[in-house]
Amino acid sequence: MLDVLTRILVYGTIVSGIWALVASGFTLIFGVGRMLNFAHGTLFVLSAYFGIVFAKNLGINPYVSFILAVILVGLFGVAMYRFTISPIRHHDIMVIIVTLAIALLVEQILLLIFGSYQTSFPSLVKGVVTVGGIPVPVKRIAALIIAIIALILLELFTNRTKTGKSIIASAQDTEAASLMGINVERVFMLTMFISSVLAGVGGLLYSQIYAISPEMSMKALLYAFAIVILGGLGSVRGSIVASFIVGYILIAVTTLFGANWSQFAMLIAIIGILIFKPSGLFGVEE
Amino acid sequence: MIVEKLDIKKLAVLIVAFILAITAPFYVPEAFIYLIGLTFIFIILVVSWDVMVGYTGQANLGHTVFVGIGAYTAALLQVPSRFSASHTFAFLSAMPQAPIPVSIIMGGVMAGIVGLVIGVITLRLKGYYFALVTAVLPLVFMQTVFVWIDVFGGEEGFSIGLDRALGATTMGRYYIAFVLMIISVAIMLAIVKSSLGLKFKAIREDQEAAEAAGIDTVKYKLIAFLISSFFGGIGGAAIVHYRITISPEVYDIPLMLLIILAGVIGGLGTIYGPIIGGFLIYLAKNWWLRELVDRFLQGTHLPINDEVILYILLIIIAIFMPGGAFEEVRKRIKRD
Repeated sequence: MLDVLTRILVYGTIVSGIWALVASGFTLIFGVGRMLNFAHGTLFVLSAYFGIVFAKNLGINPYVSFILAVILVGLFGVAMYRFTISPIRHHDIMVIIVTLAIALLVEQILLLIFGSYQTSFPSLVKGVVTVGGIPVPVKRIAALIIAIIALILLELFTNRTKTGKSIIASAQDTEAASLMGINVERVFMLTMFISSVLAGVGGLLYSQIYAISPEMSMKALLYAFAIVILGGLGSVRGSIVASFIVGYILIAVTTLFGANWSQFAMLIAIIGILIFKPSGLFGVEE
Repeated sequence: MIVEKLDIKKLAVLIVAFILAITAPFYVPEAFIYLIGLTFIFIILVVSWDVMVGYTGQANLGHTVFVGIGAYTAALLQVPSRFSASHTFAFLSAMPQAPIPVSIIMGGVMAGIVGLVIGVITLRLKGYYFALVTAVLPLVFMQTVFVWIDVFGGEEGFSIGLDRALGATTMGRYYIAFVLMIISVAIMLAIVKSSLGLKFKAIREDQEAAEAAGIDTVKYKLIAFLISSFFGGIGGAAIVHYRITISPEVYDIPLMLLIILAGVIGGLGTIYGPIIGGFLIYLAKNWWLRELVDRFLQGTHLPINDEVILYILLIIIAIFMPGGAFEEVRKRIKRD
């Protein structure tokens, strides 16, 4: 019993770190541009497939593949924003419909190219260490460390740099920011790049631990939803805290009942939050 | 005068369409008649989705949940013995097989109840929450089919038996589906044209202004969602009695996207648009699109299939003609 508990704790922490990346990217673009990007889970999957093609098919060094894939998915996100979201940014429903359509389009294309087989990114590091009596592969610990570094960089960038502050300004009041001479359109593109990179790093870290398949994009999106609703839509800090809560629930449910039940757990969690505290832990007021 | 002229034109189109629909079984091959009958039911799904999305402006991305609930309700009412596999609901297996009209209405009622519960939780919040929660629902309800596989039948689903079909012949099914569509669409049209529909539109245009004008926005959004989910369930139940089988694809996202595509092409919030959009898209998808794509791409190894084409079409239309393709065409013609 204690064994199971430690395992939930250790593995839950690692998986939570990855979901924190994905969810903070999702909530960032919402907070800044009030855009719900339903293709966010797609960016997660897409970067994993980019990385896998680079590393396995083209034989590029895994570390280089990792960086290339992240940059590529960042550019993909920017292009997606520029050509599909930007023209209809003020039409909430159409933004949702278009990003959902992009998500399914990419999923379908990936299915046609790679099939629905599970595949994974090569391990960045090898070896196993023992944590609290449980053997933990080093690649999992590496994933947690990379996730934490990425989140710290995000925090430093938005709070300490001028560009970062223009992002915060746009998030608080788009019109006022543009009157102050901030090019809001450029801020949105930059935010989209950061948001996609966060999803991309999450996807690569996930796929070097677990296997990934094109259908994973919807599941990743579902977890991101649950986390951002709990954390409060638009709050990056809230979503980091929430991803640990959701991550532990997820691992606990999967360990105790099986993977089939994880979706139910997410739905019940979402509904529970919406009934008792709809603004989430750190909700952003409009 | 102009209004009258337009109405006469519209009426003429309606009468021609009606005559074509009534006489079609006499000169259209049976396989196509079967497909067109299913298209009528699909139109119920699109129009019922439009009542919520097009009229109140709330993004419902989980309409297939109501289609699926209606469908599984109807299917289980026809084969109640499947409940014996469940511990808690085993007593339901003693139910007698429900008459077909009861089965279809119960499909709508169950979907409506679930819609009401979801609506009560999400519709008092900002629209984003409604979109997020409804998007999650199909994924979750899909899982019920696999978790309680003995009751719901898992991936393969189950059959309700040939004698439980809407009609004994294809022609019979076709006409019953047609009548069902006419009744459902007429009711929904009457609702959106009434003062209720005006309130829905007021919410869509400006929720705060509507509230300031004394409209209880939560209440009217709930009413719209209840109507929408009820008819979604009716459509789902009708599909089961039309095809006499059930499988989890009624919950699935490709069907959702097909509904969205039909609505967006037709123009949201117009009822007539989604009818035409529903007709064209469903037939295109199930009749000639796949064959066309296969023929064009034969030999090339491009990762393209009919679904890819439909998704691209949806993205293009949503970006360039957010008011719907027909609206756009009409505007262009007027401009010339």
